[in-house]
Amino acid sequence: MQPSVYHGVWRAAVHTLRTRGTPPCRLLSTAPLADAETIFALSSGHGRCGVAVVRTSGPASATALKHMAGLTRNLPPPRTALLRSITHPQSKEVLDRGLVLWFPAPHSFTGEDCVEFHIHGGPAVITAVLQALGSVAGMRPADAGEFTRRAFQAGKLGLTEVEGLGDLIHAETEAQRRQALRQMSGELGRLYQDWSHRLKRCLAHVEAFIDFSEDELIEDGVLNQVDSSVCDLQAEMERHLKDERRGERLRSGVQVVIAGATNAGKSSLLNTLCQRPAAIVSPIAGTTRDVVETALDIGGFPILLSDTAGLRDSPDLVEREGVRRARERVEQADLTLVVVDCAQLSSAAQQAAAFIRGHLTSVLPTQEQPETVFPTDRFLLVLNKSDLLPEEQKQKLDRELRCVSGLPPVCLISCHTNEGLQDFLTVLHSSVKTLCGDPLSGAPTLTQARHRAHLQQCFAALAQYQRYRDMDMALAAEGVRLALTSLGRITGRVGAEEILDIIFKDFCIGK
Amino acid sequence: MLTKKLPPLQSFLVQVSRRASHVARQQYDVIVVGGGHAGTEAAAAAARVGAQTLLVSQKIHTIGALSCNPSLGGVGKGQLVKEIDALDGVCGRAGDWAGIHFSILNRSKGPAVWGPRAQLDRQRYREFIQSELLSTPRLTVLEGSVEELLVTEPNPEEPGQHRVTGIRLANESHPISASSVILTTGTFLSGSLFMGQTTSPGGRIGDAPSSAGLSHTLRERLGLRTGRLRTGTPPRIVKDSVDLSLAQLHPPDSHSTPFSFLNTHTRCKPEEQLPCYLTYTTPGVERVVKESLHLNCHIQQDTKGPRYCPSIESRVLRFPGRSHRVWLEPEGMTSDLLYPQGLSMTMPPDVQLRLIREIPAMHRAEIHTPGYGVQYDFVCPTQLSPALQVKSTQGLFLAGQINGTTGYEEAAAQGLWAGVNAARWALSMPAVALSRTESYIGVLIDDLVSRGVTEPYRMFTSRAEFRTTLRPDNADLRLTLKGFEEVGCVSSFRYQKAVRVRDSLQDALAALQSLALSPSIWRKKMPDIPMSETKNNVPTGMDILQYNDVSFETMASAFPECLSPYMEFSQRLKIEAVYRPHSEQQRKEIERIQREENMSLPQDIDYLSLPVSLSQEVREILDRVRPSTLGAATRLQGITPAAVVHLLNYVRHTGQKERRPHRYRTDQREDEEPRARNTSLPR
Repeated sequence: MQPSVYHGVWRAAVHTLRTRGTPPCRLLSTAPLADAETIFALSSGHGRCGVAVVRTSGPASATALKHMAGLTRNLPPPRTALLRSITHPQSKEVLDRGLVLWFPAPHSFTGEDCVEFHIHGGPAVITAVLQALGSVAGMRPADAGEFTRRAFQAGKLGLTEVEGLGDLIHAETEAQRRQALRQMSGELGRLYQDWSHRLKRCLAHVEAFIDFSEDELIEDGVLNQVDSSVCDLQAEMERHLKDERRGERLRSGVQVVIAGATNAGKSSLLNTLCQRPAAIVSPIAGTTRDVVETALDIGGFPILLSDTAGLRDSPDLVEREGVRRARERVEQADLTLVVVDCAQLSSAAQQAAAFIRGHLTSVLPTQEQPETVFPTDRFLLVLNKSDLLPEEQKQKLDRELRCVSGLPPVCLISCHTNEGLQDFLTVLHSSVKTLCGDPLSGAPTLTQARHRAHLQQCFAALAQYQRYRDMDMALAAEGVRLALTSLGRITGRVGAEEILDIIFKDFCIGK
Repeated sequence: MLTKKLPPLQSFLVQVSRRASHVARQQYDVIVVGGGHAGTEAAAAAARVGAQTLLVSQKIHTIGALSCNPSLGGVGKGQLVKEIDALDGVCGRAGDWAGIHFSILNRSKGPAVWGPRAQLDRQRYREFIQSELLSTPRLTVLEGSVEELLVTEPNPEEPGQHRVTGIRLANESHPISASSVILTTGTFLSGSLFMGQTTSPGGRIGDAPSSAGLSHTLRERLGLRTGRLRTGTPPRIVKDSVDLSLAQLHPPDSHSTPFSFLNTHTRCKPEEQLPCYLTYTTPGVERVVKESLHLNCHIQQDTKGPRYCPSIESRVLRFPGRSHRVWLEPEGMTSDLLYPQGLSMTMPPDVQLRLIREIPAMHRAEIHTPGYGVQYDFVCPTQLSPALQVKSTQGLFLAGQINGTTGYEEAAAQGLWAGVNAARWALSMPAVALSRTESYIGVLIDDLVSRGVTEPYRMFTSRAEFRTTLRPDNADLRLTLKGFEEVGCVSSFRYQKAVRVRDSLQDALAALQSLALSPSIWRKKMPDIPMSETKNNVPTGMDILQYNDVSFETMASAFPECLSPYMEFSQRLKIEAVYRPHSEQQRKEIERIQREENMSLPQDIDYLSLPVSLSQEVREILDRVRPSTLGAATRLQGITPAAVVHLLNYVRHTGQKERRPHRYRTDQREDEEPRARNTSLPR
């Protein structure tokens, strides 16, 4: 295909694709990308930090800067730090005092107008600034990897940076998925799912009314039902958006879960790490039945450590529930410490490795099939009770297991004698540090701001349905479609086929 | 167009058969197999693009036959007809010629979802199509049964890649060669007919089954995956035997709106048109269906049927205890039959009679021809490119029901696009694609080739993401200009007309935009408009025209000096004003999709061993579907954003490597000038 018109980046990319010989080091764009939406995100990592950086990109950046930094007349000189009071654009409430920087297009990271707010690193300040940005017209929280993607599209990334883009987006979507799972499993999740379900039905009925009511018998009451559903949804969303209570307190920090077979010493590990007997420890298998949580600080990074019930099939109802919860936690975890009683390991390294692999498989969330490579960055293998092994076997095991590929990092420790604990803490610290470098993992404030923005869009779109209900069904339906798309950014995308499923289930549609 | 006189059918047949004796050994650019909706549009489109085209049909006189319902258009389908017409296709004009009852469905629901529809006179429709094909330059029609599809052995350099070389007819020893072959065999591919407990081979009652050779070549030699689908048709009822006083009368619209952008009126005037009638099923209908299930092979085998209800049996079984609509539609101006829309059935004929007589208006009705079911093979359309070419066989194109769709309009749309691309292939021009952001035809083709089908695919407006942009009123602006400038399937006559429309609309919109007045002046000029007092801005004519009660006519009478030149576009301007703000909102999403669609993925990527980080699941999806563009890949279920970026990276980096330009043929016709109009050769 040789289409005559290419746009923006793709033009550049396609051009590169077709040019033989010297590959250009940079993608050059002939026209700036006409993306009307302006995005914002926290671009520094979270954790204990003095300064947080919030970045925006897009045409509304200048408006946001003017309104929030009190610069009514002129924009500051480009790329120059300016100390300003940062205020909410509507309420004029002062949120923080910090540095602002203005990067007009095209001399910015993304090639678009960009603004950076360097603010104090506390969660309250960050949340307030993010929410304030969300209230500026034309601004929304960035999707996973969107800044990088825009930079790529504008031809601002060199080849090596582009290489990293896929991994980056992967990491971000993974972190978001886990974050979403955590939120979705609670009360809030049930609420959003219920809204999504009702909206889908509304849309299906509106679509059925448009596509089929002339030929088939679609009951007259269908639209009235949609009307009242939309009204209810609007009222519920409005209440929800106004509610200043945040429901259950969102857990913050990197989620670290201890999992493994019974009596491997998981609770001992928890107690060792938090330096107090937070969990009951006994030689009886199945002592821990519920999830025990402790907030910890590992080398300056906040983590939420959970001890879980030992994984085994049990006839005991309470224990079974404990095991179910344990598996749920592993699925939602940023990092899982798999504890193995090393006395159970064979002295031959190969057999030991096979045992460990089998063990990991049983701990892994069911959806992640181990035939692919282990997500080693999400697991740490803790071989406990090293004090029970003779010294030479210990060293042999440690040495040989390190040579086996495809296993997560291995630490040989004893919770009893604290042997190997220091090394383990070093490994744990570096894992947590990596996870915290990802600004999205375990940052509930950001997720919250994102959800809020999507809910507001959803709410606004429903008003479009009502505005056009008696004028133009196509435009009214567009409102419901938009509402579902916005909500779908929280609960998952809804395709045309899913809507058709509901239509064909609810109505008798002929050939 | 409507004023032309159709040549008598007799002379058509004479001319065709005379040609037939000459053709046997000729070479063509494009051969179209099948003369249904897909085949006729394909042949006409290929010839318009400039290819010497041969249409082969089992029976000349069934070319352009309406095998099932005597109607065209509707909600979603009407949009397709408008788009086919905008690309200079045949069916819109044929509908205007043959229509005997015109109405616009969804009139109260907004112009974006209006469904232009017409009941057709079967004979007039067939006559128009046949006469149109006859008068199309470069197009030859031949009666014959295709015995074999000729393909080369796989190319050793590109394993699994065949190339089509022509066809061989039954009872003919010499093959007819062609660069492109379009198969539009409808329900004839391994088709079998079902009525009661009897089954017989065939694709339509009264026609011979097609040869097993074609089916064999597709499956065994070309290795194409096929599936099986079913459909059916209702019995035809003798009109005089129906008590129409017991049915609700539905007259046509008082003003007929033609399908074609070239026509200002329909051939049949509203006062001459025939009505339709509406009746309902009764509990007796349900009883008859249930009592006769053991006599009904087609339904008994219906274990994994479609989600919708194709037959009266499926309707009453899945939605029992309700009454269902049955439309009684005229079959033609002089026909003495009625078509009972909604009563497709496959039980034995005597039970069919018992069933229809359970409906009060038909309590003494007679059946002229009983209904029956058809089961047939379709080729899984994910094996096609967006040009509707079989990916593994150069020059082989498929269109219509063979791709798993149902409906005349869906078939015609594919036929047109396959015809365009088959001709372009034969003339060594690059393939062209229609995006789902610019047309329903694009939505249809993209859904087919990137998602495949599990049940007969029918167009609904809900399938189009950009429904408020893809409207019936603006199909010419969306497609006619492109059809002439980039595709080459539109005549310059139609193009000139579309250019004039575009320019006038632009001028009119500019005039409306420049009418920026204060609210008080607006109120003075147009006292009836509901304008709020407090607004201190300066609304333009475009803003005011969005109001529900304001028509372009009233505005033009208030400002005759600047608006009266555009009176002929009053309706289009009103529609444009209402939808424009929403189109603007959709534009950026459309642009994003178009950017991704402009990134084509090579068809020869080995996804299973691609040295990039993709999960096994993603690899398998990509390997199965082989999306043509990054955009198509993005829309696949199970493809993650990360996978898309990895793909993009890979393609970008390997793009510089040597790759055979497999889209262009370089081996033939270097001596010949391509005969295409309005297009330039690649490179």
